[in-house]
Amino acid sequence: MSIFIKLGWYFKQEWKIYLIGLFGLLLTALVGIVPPRIIGVLVDTIHNGKLSGQSLLVLLGVLTLAAFAQYGARYMWRTAIWGEAAKLEKVLRNRLFKHYTEMDLEFFQKYRTGDLMAHATNDLSAIQRVAGGGILQFADSMITGGTTLIAMITLIDWRLTLIAIIPFPLLAVMARYLGTKIHIAFRDSQAAFSRLNNKAEESITGIKVIKGLGQQQEDMDDFNNQVATTININRRVNRLDSLFDPMTTMIIALSYVVTIVYGGYLVTNGSITIGSLVSFVSYLAMMVWPMFAVGMLFNTLERGNASYDRVMDLLKQKSAIIDDADGVDKAPKGEIDYHIQKFSYPDDQRAALQNINFKVPAGHTVGLVGKVGSGKSTILRLILRQFDNYQGSIQFGGIDIKHYKLDALIPAIGYVPQDTFLFSDTIRENIRFARPESSQAQVEEAAQKSDLYEQIQAMPDGYDTAVGEEGISLSGGQRQRLAIARALLINPELLILDDALSAVDAETETQILANLHAERQNKTTIISAHRLSSVMNADEILVIDDGQIVERGTHAELMARGGWYREMFERQELETKVKGGAN
Amino acid sequence: MDNSKHQSAWSKSIPFGEQMRIIGRLFHYAAPYKWYFYFSVGFSIAVAVVNIYLPRIIQVYMDSHLVVGRTDFQMMWFFAGLYFFGMVMKAIMQFVQSYLYEMGAEYMLENTRRKLFAKLHTLGMRYFDQTPSGSILSRLTNDTMAFANFWALFNSLVVTISAMVSSFIAMYMVDLKISLWLLVFMPFLFVMVWYYQRYSTRVYRRMRERLSLLNAKLAEGITGISVIQQFRQEKRINEEFNGTNDQYYNTRKAMIRINSLLLNPMINLFYALGTVLVLGMFGVRGLHAYVAAGVIYAFITYLNNFYNPMSEMMDRLSDFQDGVVAGSRVFRIMDDQTVEPQQHPVKGATITRGKIEFRHVTFSYDNVNPVLHDVSFVAEPGQTVALVGETGSGKTSIINVMMRFYEFGEGQILLDDRDI
Repeated sequence: MSIFIKLGWYFKQEWKIYLIGLFGLLLTALVGIVPPRIIGVLVDTIHNGKLSGQSLLVLLGVLTLAAFAQYGARYMWRTAIWGEAAKLEKVLRNRLFKHYTEMDLEFFQKYRTGDLMAHATNDLSAIQRVAGGGILQFADSMITGGTTLIAMITLIDWRLTLIAIIPFPLLAVMARYLGTKIHIAFRDSQAAFSRLNNKAEESITGIKVIKGLGQQQEDMDDFNNQVATTININRRVNRLDSLFDPMTTMIIALSYVVTIVYGGYLVTNGSITIGSLVSFVSYLAMMVWPMFAVGMLFNTLERGNASYDRVMDLLKQKSAIIDDADGVDKAPKGEIDYHIQKFSYPDDQRAALQNINFKVPAGHTVGLVGKVGSGKSTILRLILRQFDNYQGSIQFGGIDIKHYKLDALIPAIGYVPQDTFLFSDTIRENIRFARPESSQAQVEEAAQKSDLYEQIQAMPDGYDTAVGEEGISLSGGQRQRLAIARALLINPELLILDDALSAVDAETETQILANLHAERQNKTTIISAHRLSSVMNADEILVIDDGQIVERGTHAELMARGGWYREMFERQELETKVKGGAN
Repeated sequence: MDNSKHQSAWSKSIPFGEQMRIIGRLFHYAAPYKWYFYFSVGFSIAVAVVNIYLPRIIQVYMDSHLVVGRTDFQMMWFFAGLYFFGMVMKAIMQFVQSYLYEMGAEYMLENTRRKLFAKLHTLGMRYFDQTPSGSILSRLTNDTMAFANFWALFNSLVVTISAMVSSFIAMYMVDLKISLWLLVFMPFLFVMVWYYQRYSTRVYRRMRERLSLLNAKLAEGITGISVIQQFRQEKRINEEFNGTNDQYYNTRKAMIRINSLLLNPMINLFYALGTVLVLGMFGVRGLHAYVAAGVIYAFITYLNNFYNPMSEMMDRLSDFQDGVVAGSRVFRIMDDQTVEPQQHPVKGATITRGKIEFRHVTFSYDNVNPVLHDVSFVAEPGQTVALVGETGSGKTSIINVMMRFYEFGEGQILLDDRDI
């Protein structure tokens, strides 16, 4: 029941429509009492030979009226209650999605995509079931069950009623018991299905390996075994599912036995009329669903409650990144002044960065090089305010980046990661993602700068070519260049290439770097790379190892120094020559 | 964003003849399990027959014993026992009917998956190059599931039809004239079902489209979160999401409205108006003559049985289109002719030395642009041969044809001087 209280805010907010719904339910229940009674009265008057044309007309008239009134009342509560449930799901889904978009990286490392999806789909649908089915089951067992019971007691006979409904609570127990069992069985069935799904996915994506090793038969056997397990698990679901109707039939049968014997006795001794017995049997049938509802209500509430708590847990999480409401509103411009004494990732004691100090004057380019995992990306991510818990400060144009509003700071930075995400949309929309109102000319200009223009032209649908999940698959180099175009479109004050040229060939890299150099005269650029040719022409190059700067200087200075940089540079030179020779 | 893709998958309409052909083939897949279905249908009919007899028991009890006051406790217990026995039989048959049908459908579903999976293994690499793996997977799991739902619709149809037919026969036996008069409602009922099917399928499909779009956006919002945040597009993405969410909500409300107008409340209205007609006719007769209480009771109960299973069946009608669409997609794979290179019928020798020779091999992936052009070389046992060249020059293709991932056009490949 506590879930009803937890959802109180929603019921309070939507009380008018819920009131209409409950009124509709009450009306349905009240009008529902009429037809069985009229049938009984008609039976009795015919039996007694007292039926007149006029009274028949009245009875039929009332019955017709009741038929239409019930239709209207049913329409009323259905649209109201189911509609409200759908609305609750919508409201919560919007809220949850907004919350997701506001969360920091830590949150997304903590929860997997699949789980976040499940919370926004399965959990929300369990909650909306409380606001729809739950309310209905609650109100129905009270309103319909109550009015029918009162009708049976007052209109027919209280002794017969009390005895005949003795087996009915069993319906509630059964609905609760079978409902719980089937829920568990169904969960197992879902799990079996997803195992089957995974198996099939593995086989389809690995088809070449399977064929190459001649493992077709083994793979098919494996799949068939998985299928056999699935059948066994589903057999249980089917058995439980098939039990609902027969169990209901059995419980009603008990009730009928009592009615036949005791009701018959009451008729023969003249306590009730034969018409009343006919009415009684109809009322009994009307009690089935409300009793069922009581049992189902517990299950609905239990699941809804667990889901609601899970969703609220998510919504309670706060992003560690706090947007300064009174922060600087103007776009940052000018020098980057980077001073970090120490930074560690939230779930890690070790220092990821130590004593990183450098400046990037406006219009300059700084290169970061170093081994994989040395901390290059971490340095860049702090500028993007993906993490705030560091010792030191980062200034952009003389102001600490924490003192800018996020809306001012972030749009001034164009960030290109090594492996980027493309949306299921056209190439055009992906390029102008940060500025959807951009013109085709601006999009093409950005594509030109990232050396993607010709390749897009060659595609059958040009800029309308769909990419992402449902579109064509681009090569790694094409994806990287598209990401660069996306960043260049906003003409950012600070451009960050985080190993963003790793998948393009040397020739294309040179071309893109030349384009950047020409275009970005007064703007700042930071390039992190594994391939040293990417940073050769930078104004300053920092060699990072284990979160610290181990060498720094221009290309010439570092070569003269003869450290890691020079060794690396010569090795890469050699590799290029070997590759060139092979061609 | 662009949702034309989502629409095209659902709103493509399949001509009637084609639909019938697909359904015919679906039946073909059910054939190995036909006894499950035959027995299930048999039990449906048996349940319907018991449903004729149960009200009959009460009717006789009321009219021949209660009303005439010619009864004792022994007689009462006899009728109660008879009724209880009938109900127990009904319960058992209900269980067997439903369980057999569901298991039959389950076996059919899983067997289709097995066949499809086996079929996939006979397809050549060419097929896997041209079809995204996600869509193959979806054929194998979701689409087969959709036509299992379609099969459940048949169960619902069988139950509904046997209930309607048996109830009508029962009413006919109780009172011929009134039961014939009830046929007046039939045209309205048909029009209503037809209209519901037509209209709700459309709304339902739109609802499904929008739901899948909504889920796609949700997934993209999560997996693409870094890009969204790096470009500070949270607000726009949120607005887009809310828009899609609103659209989904609107179609869902439309669906609720249609179901409220035409489903349960409408079936109940039919039942209630039928009751008015029945009572009216019995009443008119009752003005001059005696009408037994049990007869009225039995007739009204039959009328209830007649309409009872209808709304569930109508609710499932939307599975019909889905099942046909899914069926057509699955059959497209079953009918695919992109075969894998054939195993040589005679098992042949095992490779002992490992000499490889290419003789004038020409090969293309798409039968238009040759990738390998008259390639010849020999790799003697113990030799290492290196293939070098630019990306796309054909190094991998040489391996591909040698592994027989693809059948090549001209030339010969010899392994230990034997044609592979």
